[in-house]
Amino acid sequence: MAAAALAAAAMSIALAGTTDRVAQPAVQAALFVWIMLWYVFSGLLAWWRRPDSGFGRLLVLVGFGAGLSNLAWSGNPLLFTVGQAADLLVVVLFLHVFLAFPTGRLTGVSRRLVGAGYLVSVGLQLVVMLLGGFGPDNVLAVLDAPRAATVLHAVELVTLSGLVLAGVAVLAVRRRAAGLPLRRSASLLVDSFALGLVSLAVLMLMGLFAGAGFPVVQRVTLAVLGLAPVAFVLGLLGARLAQTSIGDLVKELRAAPADLTPALARALRDPSVTLLYWLPQYDSWVDRDGAPAELPGPAARRAATIIRRDGEPVAALVHHPALTEEPDLLDAVAAAAEMVLDNGRLRAELQASLAEVRGSRARVLEAGRRERRRLERDLHDGAQQRLVGLSLRLGLLESQLGADQAARQAIAEAKQEVATSLTELRDIARGLYPAVLSGHGLAVALESVAAQAPVPVRLTVDLRDRLPEPIEVAAYYVVCESLTNVGRHAAGAGATVHIERAGDTVVVEVADDGPGGADTARGSGLRGLADRVEALGGTLRVWSPAGGGTRVRAELPCG
Amino acid sequence: MRVAIAEDSVLLREGLARLLGDAGFDVVARCADAGELLRATAALEPDVVVVDIRMPPTHTDEGLRAAVDIRAAHPAVGVLVLSQYVEPGLAMTLFADSADGVGYLLKDRISDVAEFVAAVRRVAGGGAAVDPQIVSALVSRRRADDPLAVLTPREREVLELMATGHSNQGIADRLFITVRAVEKYVSSIFGKLGIPATGGESRRVLAVLLFLRN
Repeated sequence: MAAAALAAAAMSIALAGTTDRVAQPAVQAALFVWIMLWYVFSGLLAWWRRPDSGFGRLLVLVGFGAGLSNLAWSGNPLLFTVGQAADLLVVVLFLHVFLAFPTGRLTGVSRRLVGAGYLVSVGLQLVVMLLGGFGPDNVLAVLDAPRAATVLHAVELVTLSGLVLAGVAVLAVRRRAAGLPLRRSASLLVDSFALGLVSLAVLMLMGLFAGAGFPVVQRVTLAVLGLAPVAFVLGLLGARLAQTSIGDLVKELRAAPADLTPALARALRDPSVTLLYWLPQYDSWVDRDGAPAELPGPAARRAATIIRRDGEPVAALVHHPALTEEPDLLDAVAAAAEMVLDNGRLRAELQASLAEVRGSRARVLEAGRRERRRLERDLHDGAQQRLVGLSLRLGLLESQLGADQAARQAIAEAKQEVATSLTELRDIARGLYPAVLSGHGLAVALESVAAQAPVPVRLTVDLRDRLPEPIEVAAYYVVCESLTNVGRHAAGAGATVHIERAGDTVVVEVADDGPGGADTARGSGLRGLADRVEALGGTLRVWSPAGGGTRVRAELPCG
Repeated sequence: MRVAIAEDSVLLREGLARLLGDAGFDVVARCADAGELLRATAALEPDVVVVDIRMPPTHTDEGLRAAVDIRAAHPAVGVLVLSQYVEPGLAMTLFADSADGVGYLLKDRISDVAEFVAAVRRVAGGGAAVDPQIVSALVSRRRADDPLAVLTPREREVLELMATGHSNQGIADRLFITVRAVEKYVSSIFGKLGIPATGGESRRVLAVLLFLRN
């Protein structure tokens, strides 16, 4: 391949020596050789270093493509025709290779851009040549329509310029979307790509208007295009240098830091690095806090390197995709991390189990709440309704009764029985679920609670909208239970109840001016409240300094 | 007097219709949900509607919302809300700006036919009916300095009857005293509590409820 490249370079010089088609052929030849050799050799280097990436092969292809277009300098009409046909194909090859960095593959918009480019640069170019463009040496000419050929060629140039500039836009968007500043070598590379594409577009447009500065722009363009592989090779060298940081990494990791990520970020020179752990028992990736996490997919703006042990995944480094250009560095960092990640993994596993326990507690409480709500409704619509109906019938019977005292007495007694049953049933239903809460909200429900509380209560409910029902129920019970406690332990005291929403949190506070000094650990009521609040992801705190009253504060997330 | 009934339980709906029919009411509509009641009220303008607070579809506050809507759209129609529970908090919503032609009673009250019919009549005539359970909850409410401590036991009784919506005549009948005596108690109570004397008998319901609330 290298020999072929040298041969192509020699051919280029030879053609330059004989051609009369370009001015200053020596300078042109030097520039083409510069491009050809840089692309082919850096492509070979990349191919060798990373055989599974198509990028190196693409670079080589571009080098030879440039050589092919050189044939247009030939005096031989056949060679000239071949070279001329490939003339603009090279432009699209550049676009292709720049957009395909770093994986060598094209996706989405880039794929369509490059596809359209090939279609235009080959298809239209052939039509132009069939129409007899590019002078008498064009062996493909079947018609003699130079005007049409010129117009079509102009269309071709303008279209290609547009596609190339769109490619620049794609590069700019990608650079933005990467979020973090790209690594230096990679950003240098992308800049040189963009610069090359812009010069190409300018060159094609100048060719169209046959501007006076065309030869100068052409030389600048060729020189700039040659820069891209230079930047690429510099990036590869940089990767070599980076591996010297592995020694420091190993030293840092040996100190067993609680969080490995800062050390990994320094070694990879990527501050966005995160470490995920694989927990086979959950069949899931989790972050260091045990929260489920996803590995970035193939189309994501992040890349992952899986760390394996005995062939099984144990962790993954999630990093900037540009790092895939430095697989040696990644492999070394992954190997260093593999030795010390057990602590972090255990921690993540513990957090994950905790989260699972919390989740199941919340589910149990929620299931209980729903069940109690259902029971209350069943009682309301069933037994209570029937008993009311029964007492209504008794009432009607009574009103139709004559002066039979014994019968009147019996009915009055029956009515009393029913009334007592209804009262008992009502108390049970109420205890099961505060129906007024689901029907009318916290403010109304708490107003009733305050009216019937064992101590004087000053109530302020500062809520604009209804809250999710589980939150309302928890807040309701916090207030009820706290007021009951005040009645039990601080009889004679007064209480204030305040509920407000602060951002995504509902704050429920019940304070009394009693003697304080409550044993906050003993009351099972408080423990139950704390369970209820914590199951919803909230916190419950109690302050009860001797002589300073008691304050219960619950914060419930409702975002 | 023309009455519309809204209650989702067939048993109770028919029982109520019969009770009110027997008492001389003209039952013009029997509705199974709030939507039906609103349509019937708009079409028939009854003197009073009797509405269950929990009705389909959600069985939460449909009846209450219908009651509030009817009060806004048809001020001449009395609204009596029935419920399995009575809530002081809800009474305050219902009587928020006026107790004229509004009632809120525990469902059980329908077993005392005479008393219940009297309450429906009162609401139909623009008066108020507040469930005694609500009044007793408010009266027995714990307060830092109980303002009701200045009242004699008899005055307390009168206050409670007044708050449930009874007229002076009604109070007199229940306590076996003269209307004149009731009037004296009422002005004494208002004087002691510092409640400004208001005109009608339903106006004073709201004044007393508001006083008891704080």
